[in-house]
Amino acid sequence: MTTTRRLGGRVRIVAPRRHGPEFSAQQTWSELSKNIKEIQNHNACNLSFEENHRFAYNMVLYRQGEMLYKGVKSLISENLEYLLREQVAPVFPSGASQESLQKSNEAEMLLKALKSIWDDHLGNMSKLGQILKYMDRVYTKAAEVPETWETGLTLFLEHIFRPPIKEHVITAILTQIEFEREGYTINRSAVKGCVDVFLTLQTSAGGPTVYKEDLEPALLKKSRSFYEAEGKRLLISCDAPEYLRRVENALQAEESRAHHYLSSQTALPLRQILQDCLLTAHLGNVISMENSGLDVMIDTDKIEDVARLFRLYSMVPTGMTCLKRALKDSISRRGRDINQSSLSVDWDEQDDAQGDNSNGKGKGKSKPAASGVQTLGLALKWVQDVLDLKDKFDIVWKSAFGSDRDLESALNEAFGSFVNVNSRCSEFISLFIDDHLRRGLKGKTDTEVDLVLDKTITVFRFLGEKDVFERYYKGHLAKRLLLKRSVSDDAERGMLAKLKVECGYQFTQKLEGMFNDMKVSIDTMNEFRNYLQKPGISKPCIELSVTVMTATFWPMTHSNSPCTIPQQMNKTCKQFEQFYLSRHSGRRLTWQYSLGNADVRVKFKQRKHDLNVSTFALVILLLFEDVKDDDFLSYKEIQELTAIDHTDLKRHLQSLACAKFKILKKHPPGRDVDTSDSFCFNSDFTSQLQKIKISTVSSKVETSSERRETRDRIDEERRHQTEACIVRVMKLRKHMTHNELVNEVTPLLAGRFQPNPLDIKKRIEGLIEREYLERCEDRKSYNYLA
Amino acid sequence: MADVEMRTESKDDDWVRIESNDGFSFLVRRRVANISGTIKNSLDTESGFSEAESKTYVAREYRGLIIQKLLEYMCFKAHYDKVGPKEEVPVNEFLERIPAEIVLELLLAADYQEM
Repeated sequence: MTTTRRLGGRVRIVAPRRHGPEFSAQQTWSELSKNIKEIQNHNACNLSFEENHRFAYNMVLYRQGEMLYKGVKSLISENLEYLLREQVAPVFPSGASQESLQKSNEAEMLLKALKSIWDDHLGNMSKLGQILKYMDRVYTKAAEVPETWETGLTLFLEHIFRPPIKEHVITAILTQIEFEREGYTINRSAVKGCVDVFLTLQTSAGGPTVYKEDLEPALLKKSRSFYEAEGKRLLISCDAPEYLRRVENALQAEESRAHHYLSSQTALPLRQILQDCLLTAHLGNVISMENSGLDVMIDTDKIEDVARLFRLYSMVPTGMTCLKRALKDSISRRGRDINQSSLSVDWDEQDDAQGDNSNGKGKGKSKPAASGVQTLGLALKWVQDVLDLKDKFDIVWKSAFGSDRDLESALNEAFGSFVNVNSRCSEFISLFIDDHLRRGLKGKTDTEVDLVLDKTITVFRFLGEKDVFERYYKGHLAKRLLLKRSVSDDAERGMLAKLKVECGYQFTQKLEGMFNDMKVSIDTMNEFRNYLQKPGISKPCIELSVTVMTATFWPMTHSNSPCTIPQQMNKTCKQFEQFYLSRHSGRRLTWQYSLGNADVRVKFKQRKHDLNVSTFALVILLLFEDVKDDDFLSYKEIQELTAIDHTDLKRHLQSLACAKFKILKKHPPGRDVDTSDSFCFNSDFTSQLQKIKISTVSSKVETSSERRETRDRIDEERRHQTEACIVRVMKLRKHMTHNELVNEVTPLLAGRFQPNPLDIKKRIEGLIEREYLERCEDRKSYNYLA
Repeated sequence: MADVEMRTESKDDDWVRIESNDGFSFLVRRRVANISGTIKNSLDTESGFSEAESKTYVAREYRGLIIQKLLEYMCFKAHYDKVGPKEEVPVNEFLERIPAEIVLELLLAADYQEM
């Protein structure tokens, strides 16, 4: 309201009526105090508010505020003491009873009584506050004392919430909570009422509440000891899934407890206690619990339990580390089993000539022929097992771990480590892919195969030595391409694209070169055929099909055995050579007989058969063309006539004489070919099939000597790669210290294999010798010499 | 009109009676009566003093003229409390309606009534 005042003319302001001498402080107070007592007896409805307000107003007005204030205070105190005596004291817990139900009932009574006098007190205080409003407005501020309402709370604190009553009440609340934790039902509202009192009262003006000061610490202490004991008890009595279920329930129960009848500010410390006592303290024990821990949960596909475990473990900081460790253990254990089973059967009969590069687990020489197929089976089984295991953990990871990135890397790490423990993992994976691209497509649809190959790529990612894989893959791909075993060109190219995505252009460059060679060869052959049609060119007596392979792209692991080929074959070969070199000058053609094969029609006694044999086998068979049916050629003669290496010769003789289709007869009969054996043409051969494929006996899985050779080649290749990498780096930097150089080179090579610093050092020394680099005077760094 | 308001603001919209010491009796909405802290407390149904029971507040120290002016102000305040900040409150017009003779008495009453 504005203060502008219009004082018009002559206006007389009449002074208000004086209250005069009739006012007596004593008398007013005695009236008022009587009425206050009435209010405390719940008889406010018989009292006039106006009258009492006027009493208080007058007392303040006549400067009797202090008397009023003190009088009211003492009246409140008296009333509180009275209430305490009448209502609370009778229900004090006897303390004699040990029975928990009884105790709980007693506690409830006390809490209810306390709540009821609190409500009573608050009601009184609000009425008094209304009557004494004028005092609060005028007197308390001037006298700097708390207003009626605050005074009421302080007095309650002083008279009711004092030792030992407060302790009794706290104990009662704790008793109730513990009773509920044990699974009984309690009167939550009674507890809540009392907790609210604790929450309302402050220890001092603006200070912490009594709840924070007294109740909460006691509550937390009690909870800690309860859950510590509970954790130990559950650990003994429950299995892991049950334990975790209980923990989750306890967490929910405490959460609801905190929000329903405690303070929400307690929820956090309570949760912390639960996590400390039930989770952090027992993480390791629960996860590795025998017959029910994480391992078993995964074994039995208890996704829900695993998910719960993840939920709970991700709450506490150490939980993830523990979970990761357990997962790694679990995977490496399973991985060990898979490795073991692939090794144990295979290498039951360990050869003494064990490869010196073996990992000690027994990488002997496979029994070449017989166990070859079995070994292949094992290799496929190994990869399949790894894939299955990966699938299993992928499912767990997706459905139970919420696709957590952190865990994914832990899982991958674990897979990587056990896969790489198997020293032949690269070969096995390549074999697996080979198998699927060869025959797998027949039974499965394109998408299925694609899926399998995709999965294989995930395993491939674990490989530490990708260059080894590349070598094997190249070998297998070469076989598939040359023998036309690859079922689908699309699938091959798809696989290549996948590898390209994984390892980059460089990795697949040579593989693509192989595909290109195949394509160019087809064109070349068409041109060659057209060329032969031309007049004046002598028609060849055999049909020739040549695949021209670029030497650097194709693996050269196959044997380079010489071979004396018959005249008619040689002629056509020369014809092709002539044709080819006329179109591409400066190239050199080397015939790789060992990779070829031939279709030949053979006349047996009964009928003629079309045989598909390897080039070597054809050469051997052609020897028998001029030999009478019952005459023998000794091993030695054959060797001399064909000039084929012993190992290859034995292999091909074996496939002709000892395999499923016996085109030759061996004397004496037996499975293995010996240098003292002799052979004759088996003209009695019969078969229902017109076309017969004589597959060369070969072990697809490498023998140890082959493997040693592969290993050597790989080592050599690595040496080249390392050197190339060092030179590249040095060319760029010109000058580097040794450590810097090693640190620079290592990650560059890591995509293909794990380089050893010592090897790098050797390469550096090699380069210094060849004067690509020079050692600086400080003996620690190098200069690049252009 | 009153009925509609009764329904929408039933809690504050019942009628209460204010009586002066010289026999005048005024009926106002509770909402208006609540402008005065003292009258509000006396009629507070929670506390349940006899005034609240009878919905009647007897101002024994004040004559009808004073009560009337108080109530006039209370209505004025209750009305203009609700209007937006843009609307001008005609304070001066109200001030002109206060006779100078009763200013002091009115002031004391306003103090007592906690306005």
